[in-house]
Amino acid sequence: MSTNSATFNGKRSFKLMIVDDSNIMRRRIERSNKFEELELVGTAGNGEEALELFGKTDPDVVTMDLTMPRMDGIECIGRLVALKPSIRILVVSALADKATAVEAMEKGANGFLNKPFTDRQLNEAIAELMR
Amino acid sequence: MTVAGTERRRQLATAFIGTALTLVMGAVLIWGFHLATNMRANITALQSASALQNYPEEIAHQLNTLRDRLEVRAYSGQALSDLQATVTRFDQELKKINTGGNSESPQLDRALLLWHQYRPVLDPVVAFAGQPYVESDSAGSALSREGRKHYAEVKQAQLFAADNARPLQAQLASLASTLQHSSSDAADHLRGLLFVGVIAALMLAGAAAWFQRARNRQERVARDATEQTRDILKTVREGFFLLDANYRIGSVWSEALTRMFSRNDFAGLSFEELLQNLVPAATLSTATKYIKLLWGDRAHENLMKSINPLGQLEITMDNGHGSKETRYLQFDFHRVMGPEGVKHVLCSVGDITSSVLLARELHDSQENANQQLDMMLGMMHVDPLQLVSFLDTAETGLKLVNTILREPARTDAEFRKKLNGLFREMHSIKGEASALNLKSIASRVHSLEDMVSDCKKRPELSGNDFLPLVLKLDDLLAHLRGVREMASRLTAIKDTPAGIAAQTATLSTTMPSMKLSAATPAPPAPVATPERGAPRSVEDLRPALQSMAERLAHDHSKRFKLTMAGLSEVPTAYSATIKDCLIQMLRNAAVHGIESPDVRQANTKDAEGTVRVEFRKISDGYELVFEDDGVGIAPDSLRTAAVRKQMITEEEAAGMDTRATMALIFRPGFTTQDGVSMDAGRGVGMDVVARSVYALGGKIGVSTHPGRFTRFKIVLPPSEAASSTAVA
Repeated sequence: MSTNSATFNGKRSFKLMIVDDSNIMRRRIERSNKFEELELVGTAGNGEEALELFGKTDPDVVTMDLTMPRMDGIECIGRLVALKPSIRILVVSALADKATAVEAMEKGANGFLNKPFTDRQLNEAIAELMR
Repeated sequence: MTVAGTERRRQLATAFIGTALTLVMGAVLIWGFHLATNMRANITALQSASALQNYPEEIAHQLNTLRDRLEVRAYSGQALSDLQATVTRFDQELKKINTGGNSESPQLDRALLLWHQYRPVLDPVVAFAGQPYVESDSAGSALSREGRKHYAEVKQAQLFAADNARPLQAQLASLASTLQHSSSDAADHLRGLLFVGVIAALMLAGAAAWFQRARNRQERVARDATEQTRDILKTVREGFFLLDANYRIGSVWSEALTRMFSRNDFAGLSFEELLQNLVPAATLSTATKYIKLLWGDRAHENLMKSINPLGQLEITMDNGHGSKETRYLQFDFHRVMGPEGVKHVLCSVGDITSSVLLARELHDSQENANQQLDMMLGMMHVDPLQLVSFLDTAETGLKLVNTILREPARTDAEFRKKLNGLFREMHSIKGEASALNLKSIASRVHSLEDMVSDCKKRPELSGNDFLPLVLKLDDLLAHLRGVREMASRLTAIKDTPAGIAAQTATLSTTMPSMKLSAATPAPPAPVATPERGAPRSVEDLRPALQSMAERLAHDHSKRFKLTMAGLSEVPTAYSATIKDCLIQMLRNAAVHGIESPDVRQANTKDAEGTVRVEFRKISDGYELVFEDDGVGIAPDSLRTAAVRKQMITEEEAAGMDTRATMALIFRPGFTTQDGVSMDAGRGVGMDVVARSVYALGGKIGVSTHPGRFTRFKIVLPPSEAASSTAVA
């Protein structure tokens, strides 16, 4: 993945956290990740779990679903950015309306990817995120 | 960047050359001033030196005069006083030359040296103030002692003068000559300097002219560029403007914006103000947030493009004619980067209304095609005869709807009554369409039903509320025609036995154009398409008329049976008219003629009424008899109604016999209904029936017995098409 290495600019490995209430989607994102530099440190099924996992693993990159039980993605993004301003968050959501995307960006998300997506779209979105 | 750099270099060069030339001019002027001052001093010195040249000789001469005076014992005071004046002046002039900037002149030095030797010799002479002579009687005038001394000093001075006057004079002449040279040189210098000054001035003027020209050229280029920019902004179809860091629109924008937003005060307007009152509050809030995000460091172009909430913005604004207009605008945003991050956001706005509407039309047409396909597939499962029967029933039902719409109405109660009637008919058609799985028809009727329900919910009703219903009904009728056509094609494809094929092929009948009461605006008349197959036999309508009778009986809580005879005899040419007449009369009979079972029984009549239809060929044409055993028509009530309607005067009414009275019901606009209760009288739509009969050259008559029956008899002339009655 020469382009990817270029994107990551030879930095040390990054820690990835996947937040999605769907087990299938979590595995899908995990399998789609082609970046060797991106090491999965944990997955969470809702915002609360994500915050707990964040405390333990301190991830650099997060993929975030929006519609989740207990604590939704929008709130979780706000909390994570407050805890770690340098964190990079890619929203992966089936909510196609632009208002939601704008709100997520406003809270501090760095990218937006609509479900369903292809592997290529996901990797491009992550590459864009790390730029 | 390159243009700006060149411009900067040019400006620097201009400043440098201008400064250099000005400095040169300044230096020339100062130096010239200095030279001029020196020259002035030289000239003064020259004048002095020229004057002084003669002094040594003058002094020598005056010394001689003084000695001569002393020798002849003449008065010497004047000579001494002249000498004193000359010496003093010489001394002063010499000192002036010396202090006048010529102290370094060797000639002057030598002259001064000589003078300094000369002066001590002269001083005692000029300082003499005593009496040079003594008077004695013996010797006469003789030199006094001090006179002798004075004489000796004069002689000594004369001797010195004889030796040194000439050298001193030579030195002074030489000094004058030197000063002259010096002045001449200075004049040369000044001339040279002035020449340089003139050259520098000319160069400065030339440079100024050159730079002015260059500047003019630049200004022209800048003016051209501004003009081109203005032309572009005036002509381009997109709206363009820049947003600053305060989200306000800059002073330059394209004129397309004026057309899009119907305003022209864009400069300084905030983006929020631009969209205010045009879009819902939620959209405005999202748009504002989005614009703010564009200034953030996380806003990558691709990402921002993908979440642009204004990619297809629906705005509603006044169209200038008092009504609202919906338009679709597409906003695109591009960040303009400066050295310190985002400098502006370039916003382009396109009016995509036509493409949005086109896309919608395409979508609708696709939907329609899909629906037609579904319909076709659905129809393939329906028995052709059943389908034909349904279409007939639906058509009959819709004609009934038409009749209901035509009924005049003025009050709210009347309108509500109409709505209830419409609703019943719609519901029944929908039920049958659903049962046959004809979804496209069912959904259309359903939406019409919804509209009727909406109308019912309104607090007040007027004729205008029925306009959308009429339009929708028209759409439904058009769809039914389409279905008929499709059914005939389908039948052709199926290649069914000739009888069924013929039957289906002749399904189509001409739709009578709908005529509405004055309270309801007329809809566009459905296009009659007689070429789509010959009119069907009325006999085929038998099931549809039966089911209509049942429905009417049920809806109006009546009981009656419908008997029909001879309908197969109806010539093709008359079938449409006969059909329309039957529908109209059946409705009249069911609603107004036949009494409710209670009333009938109270009047010792059979609880179940009878409506009899009989068609037969007679010697000179055909005859249709339509009879019900209902309440009949009271001539008095007809007369009263006609007077009330001001169709006839009371006198005329009084003079009318029963026959003339009964003819009133065929007059246009006549109804016994005063208010609108649908059960108030008879004659609804009979004028239409009569007109269509007259149109065929026929006659219509009515006979009645109040409380017993009403009988309409229609006589039609022989038809050329009589032989071609449709096959049952």
